[in-house]
Amino acid sequence: MYNQAEPSVMHIDLNSCFATIEQQARPLLRGRPVAIVNRRSNHTSIVTASYEAKVLGVTTGMKLNEAFKICPDIVALESDPPKYRYIYRQLMRIMNDYSAHVRMKSIDEGVIDFSEATIDVRQRNLCDIGWEIKNRLWGEIGGAINCNVGISTNRFLAKTAAGLNKPNGLDVITHKNLRSTFKSLELTDITGIAQRMELRLNQVGIYTALEFLDANEEILRKQVFKSITGSQWYKRLRGWEVDKHDYDIKTVGRQYVLDEYKLSRDKVLQRLHFLCEEVGQKIRSQGLVARGVRVYARGYQYKGSGWNGEYWQARHLLKTSFSSDKDIYSIARQLFEDAPNFVKEIGVSCYQLDSSENIQLAFFDDRLGPGFNITSTIDSINLHYGGRTIHSADTLSSNSKITRRIPFGGTRYL
Amino acid sequence: MNDEQSLDERVEVICRFNKAFQPCIPIKFKRTNGREVIVTELGLRHPRQQGVRIIHVFDVTDGQADYRLEFNSEQLVWRLTMEADHV
Repeated sequence: MYNQAEPSVMHIDLNSCFATIEQQARPLLRGRPVAIVNRRSNHTSIVTASYEAKVLGVTTGMKLNEAFKICPDIVALESDPPKYRYIYRQLMRIMNDYSAHVRMKSIDEGVIDFSEATIDVRQRNLCDIGWEIKNRLWGEIGGAINCNVGISTNRFLAKTAAGLNKPNGLDVITHKNLRSTFKSLELTDITGIAQRMELRLNQVGIYTALEFLDANEEILRKQVFKSITGSQWYKRLRGWEVDKHDYDIKTVGRQYVLDEYKLSRDKVLQRLHFLCEEVGQKIRSQGLVARGVRVYARGYQYKGSGWNGEYWQARHLLKTSFSSDKDIYSIARQLFEDAPNFVKEIGVSCYQLDSSENIQLAFFDDRLGPGFNITSTIDSINLHYGGRTIHSADTLSSNSKITRRIPFGGTRYL
Repeated sequence: MNDEQSLDERVEVICRFNKAFQPCIPIKFKRTNGREVIVTELGLRHPRQQGVRIIHVFDVTDGQADYRLEFNSEQLVWRLTMEADHV
């Protein structure tokens, strides 16, 4: 049974977000292939490509040197987080004008739930509101900023609608056109269905999006997803809302691809220390404390190293909570002693997070004692004067190497 | 690949303040070498936070090159921080 209610959810997705923002900021880049990268080197991966680049075959995740082969005049720009944060806030401001129930899903997309909006907004046609938002983006930010708007009865179908006609589309999915819409989609066009899930669906005879839509709930629950997730998919595909919830933060982490191979152990540890300071700052900014630290490393193949570049990780869970950079680094450093050499990427994350107000203090382990006051004072100074005004001397050399990147997927730290 | 040039040049700027959505638009600036640049379009204006201080960043063009002007709202100083010639 499809949800036959009037659509009340709108998904808004900025097209090729970072590249479009750069084209807005730099008028001479408009109409030209542009790639946004996190680091200006040939081996870096493309974070976002403009539509002009995409038409020529440049894709997100492609190495920049590969992009140059198919598009020699592509302009590669380093990402500029403050600029993207500003546009994110503008988008959020515009969306909040229509409903108090706005959830930003990432830096370039958000959802407006109109079901609890004011009556004068609910009486309006959602397509009109969608066009109005597009016009406001053009008028209040700039003519190069386009977005896709998808409207439906639940978040999943609204997102699907927003992906139908890129760039700059506006589509509505209702129970009336649900089947015809799914007829035009591949299985992997569906959000949440990647190649591995496609294989699992294929194993029960589901090869198309329409067959997925028509699938029996019991088959999805017992044979494909083997959990309640199957029933959720059954409802989600039919336009019923199952995704209206927020998730707590489970882990906070930071990773870094080293600025050069064959860095000495000391220098790798300095980079790790830098990452620990960033993770600590993130945790504290959310009012959290952690109990566990995980470190990982990815290596590169090196003759005689005995390590073929595979993934290495170690973790440690403590009984008491901590949040200072010093504690995080001291645990991470100890764990990293077992890491192999020939490392090209490192990462650190904290887990078992809890609110700093809920913690159980230990008698003899003073992890939130005097050190906590020093840490919060340093945080206040950094907040006032910006960036890393005060940090450990050990990370001094990493400051110019590691820059803050824009987080995709989450909006907590924007 | 990229012809951006980072600069840190103090410049003189003439702005128009108006009631429109962009209340402040640079219309002309004079570089240290005396060259005057007439702004034909303001691409984007966005704030950049330096602690509690706010730097207003203006990405502008004269049709020949793109420029980045930064206004320090505490010191009331304009700087040209980037020039990019993509034509």
